[in-house]
Amino acid sequence: MNSIWSKLQMNQTLAGGALLALLALPLAGCGNDEVKVYKVAKTDDTAPATPAAAPGDMAAPAANAQPGMPQLKWTLPDGWTTKPAGEMRLASFSAPGKDGNTVDVSVVPLPGMAGGDLNNVNRWRGQVGLAPISAEDLPKEGQAVAVGDSTAVLYDLSGTPAGAGGMSTITTGADGKGRILAVGLHREDMMWFFKATGDDVSVGFQKDNFIGFLKSLQFAAPDASAALPPDHPPIGGDATPPMAGQSLPPMGGGTPATVPAGALPAWTVPTAWTAEPPSAMLLARFTATEHTAKADITVSSFPGDVGGLLANVNRWRRQISLPPVDDAALSSAITPLSTSAGPASEVDVTGTDPKTGQPTQLVGVILPLNGQTWFYKLMGDAAVVDHQKPAFLQFVQTVKY
Amino acid sequence: MFFDRLIKFFASLRLTVVCLALGMVLIFAGTLAQVPMGLYKAQNEFFRSFVVFWQPEHFAWKIPVLPGGYLLGGLLLINLIAAHAERFSFSRKKAGIWMIHSGLILLLLGQLLTDMLAQESQLHLRVGDARNYSESDREFELAITDVTDKDADKVVAIPEHLLLRQQDINNSQLPFTLKVDKFYLNSAVTNQPAAGYEASGATAGFGTTGVWLKSLPRETVMELRDLPSGIVEVVSPAGSTGKFMISAYFGEAQPFTVAGRKYTMMLRMERFYKPYSLRLQEFKHDVYKGTDVPKNFSSRLVLDRPATGEHREVLIYMNNPLRYDGETYYQASFDPDDGGTVLQVVHNPSWVTPYLACLLVGAGLIVQFLSHLIPFLKRKQSL
Repeated sequence: MNSIWSKLQMNQTLAGGALLALLALPLAGCGNDEVKVYKVAKTDDTAPATPAAAPGDMAAPAANAQPGMPQLKWTLPDGWTTKPAGEMRLASFSAPGKDGNTVDVSVVPLPGMAGGDLNNVNRWRGQVGLAPISAEDLPKEGQAVAVGDSTAVLYDLSGTPAGAGGMSTITTGADGKGRILAVGLHREDMMWFFKATGDDVSVGFQKDNFIGFLKSLQFAAPDASAALPPDHPPIGGDATPPMAGQSLPPMGGGTPATVPAGALPAWTVPTAWTAEPPSAMLLARFTATEHTAKADITVSSFPGDVGGLLANVNRWRRQISLPPVDDAALSSAITPLSTSAGPASEVDVTGTDPKTGQPTQLVGVILPLNGQTWFYKLMGDAAVVDHQKPAFLQFVQTVKY
Repeated sequence: MFFDRLIKFFASLRLTVVCLALGMVLIFAGTLAQVPMGLYKAQNEFFRSFVVFWQPEHFAWKIPVLPGGYLLGGLLLINLIAAHAERFSFSRKKAGIWMIHSGLILLLLGQLLTDMLAQESQLHLRVGDARNYSESDREFELAITDVTDKDADKVVAIPEHLLLRQQDINNSQLPFTLKVDKFYLNSAVTNQPAAGYEASGATAGFGTTGVWLKSLPRETVMELRDLPSGIVEVVSPAGSTGKFMISAYFGEAQPFTVAGRKYTMMLRMERFYKPYSLRLQEFKHDVYKGTDVPKNFSSRLVLDRPATGEHREVLIYMNNPLRYDGETYYQASFDPDDGGTVLQVVHNPSWVTPYLACLLVGAGLIVQFLSHLIPFLKRKQSL
């Protein structure tokens, strides 16, 4: 015993040092919770390290967004320089303006409808101090422009920015006027924002170049899967929350909304299906697994016709890498299906999963009912889908609304 | 008596062997777990923990299955120190053993210090860009910036963990109180009503109309990050300026005014400012001829330190980091168009400990070897 104590005392410096170090560590770790106060040069903070979307635009930041950013090519007008693309922006440019000012040009792709045209236009109007307009007045605004191989509306808005709290992030000229050239392009499941902002004169000076830039754009397929926030199903399913990686039924059907909680219809779920937690845009989700293969069953409902039958059939076709059909071919692409709530349209297509390259079958039913459109989808391994199809159709036909 | 037995237990060679064996199992299991869990979660659960738990499917409780990295490392450290206290007494003959063990203790302590004190961030630069701060790749902060003055902005940066406490935040540099109504470390935001989402309730700033949010579980995959959101109210003696929604989904600072001074608020990646800046002159992505196989990535930068007048060019490439002012800049990634670089910035106050530890162990081995060799040779000569 004594010998141990004497040895312990001999080594107390060493042991004490180690103990002190161990005790000090948790304290050192607490430093993360301190508020930092510092001064930075103006130029430093006004240009964030990762330039972002326009005020109020929302998107998934870089770690999620960049790997899944769609691909885009363009021809840069004379004098334009590339700026760091940053988190929200797919591309960012600086264009020379008048009196030494510059025009900021941004390209921001957002999954989904990103608020709808009216909301977007009114947000831009607010940024330059203009009053919001109504839906009836929207068609009177803007001019048609070519954006690559598509056509979109260019809104040219100028005014005296006021902004929230008496400030705006729009640069203004000596006359206090700022200007925004903005285009929102719906393209497949993405909403593309192209914006040029700056003082009134400089933006006007660059307007032709901006239109030329838009015309030069070439779109390429996105690598979408990596861009999704944590609990979001992959793009191509129709189950994601609208803002950050979604595949809503195509635009044109008003503001989609889910059926209120508790308003689910009554149905009998086949015993072979396993219920999965529904996500934001889905009322119900099931899986059918056979050996190692599986198929997903989803149910969703939206107000209006959500783009119409053709658009939705083509949306499903795209999900399994099939070319769209036109109006003339639509009738042969669908089969009428009678359900307890009325006539519906059935789609049965086989293609390949764009991510895995595996053969995939999709059986879908579209049912318009009381101003809503109901979407039922069975998709997955072709053998499982084929096997589950009768149970799926019976399920759809017997739902009581 | 009890203390004596305790010391004996901690000093036993059996404990060393058991710890080392469990360490091997832990490393093996932790390596395999990286496949389903991802690197980040596996590191946290296996190595940055005291106990590794296993949660059976459909059960709420967890079963402890293995000692974690902290526990094994801590035990080994105590074991080494206790063994010294129990068995070894310092003598010239045993100097080598002492050095080896001191080196091992230093290595273990150094690793623990690195784990607790090291700070990693990233510096993303496009060609021509200069920047005097790096950004965390995981942690967020709410930056309240007073932008009233013409020459400089004053920033009050509030770390996300303070926001998570959902308490009032007061700072002597701010003439108002920030009342944190809600804060989610990971969130989803939508612009349409949807199941599980709640209306933001913001009355000022970007999130006033048409924004819904919900809390999400923390992201554990290395490649993904949390996207926090919350609602904060700015309350000054004159009253409330409004409830603002703050979110990593918002790409730009929200302006507001209090008592005639202009401010912006933004939930952004935590920033680490430096007294110097780095400007990217050139980024090179060399490939082997005729292939797309990368051969080398290099960033040519200019380092500027106004306070000392230092102005020099530095070249960072794979396995050749820049070590400067207590930080190490590694070539980590690059932009898809080769027009920008991403440098990993590591601030590790105990970076020197593994080198010292290895030197100590190496020197100890030599001393120990010589302490046997020399007497042996002497004995041989005397034969």
